[in-house]
Amino acid sequence: MSDETNETVTTGYKRDWRIGWIVFAGLMVLTFIEFVVANLSNPSAVLLIIIGLIKAALIVYFFMHVYRLWREEKHG
Amino acid sequence: MSVGTVEDHAEHHGVELSPEQQVKANRFGLWLFFISEIFLFTALLVARFFLWGNTRPELNQVVGLIATSILLISSFFVYRGETAIEHGDKKRFMNNFLWAALFGTLFFIGVVVLEWNIFGLSGEIAGVEIFGHLKPTDGVFGGVFFAMTGIHALHVLSGILLLLAAWYNGRKNKYSATDNWGVEGTALYWHYVDVVWVFFYPALYLIGTAV
Repeated sequence: MSDETNETVTTGYKRDWRIGWIVFAGLMVLTFIEFVVANLSNPSAVLLIIIGLIKAALIVYFFMHVYRLWREEKHG
Repeated sequence: MSVGTVEDHAEHHGVELSPEQQVKANRFGLWLFFISEIFLFTALLVARFFLWGNTRPELNQVVGLIATSILLISSFFVYRGETAIEHGDKKRFMNNFLWAALFGTLFFIGVVVLEWNIFGLSGEIAGVEIFGHLKPTDGVFGGVFFAMTGIHALHVLSGILLLLAAWYNGRKNKYSATDNWGVEGTALYWHYVDVVWVFFYPALYLIGTAV
């Protein structure tokens, strides 16, 4: 593997790890917001469902890589 | 009868797939399975909203929050493990999948021991009862709660077994940066189980008035 390819792999690896951290932090924050919203004096079920949908979308897109369904990948 | 090679046979039937096509087909098949499971989990959610309406049983919301966090942490480890093997980092893949299985097991134990309270325990932390009191026979509250958590727990259990199988295969050097469908499929399944809980958590613990 050339140095240039190695560098690309390392950069991609770091980027993917950073994305993982950001998405995980977002999921934790949203989960805590859900908890707070549910304990308000007049909690909104619609808001809770919307937060749930956002969390699901984050997982499906970033963790489950749904876009790979439409993309040819190098795999073996 | 002549005996041809595997390639001859595949060519004759026109079913030969390149490794890339095979992985794409695997992915598509797994997503179709997920879609079929949506019917099951949606049916459970419909039962919850139809039968409970704007009420819910008195459950410990902090236990629900902690359980949800544990499952999210587990999903995060799976993501890290999958990313690692895709970049040829076998050691990190192995470590992260093992952590994911550990947190998945914690979630499972939390549901069985705390929420289902199969040992009939009681105890308080800061004046709040941490062990569940619902039984499957407690009308619509018990029936729906145990149906939802039970079906989900079965998925968690099978996911833990898949994580451990992937970890074991990793030990046998069966995965590489270019050949890791076993890891990807396991990760997809585990994240799916997480997505289901993303909807179950508010439905069971947060939405409605506790009665």
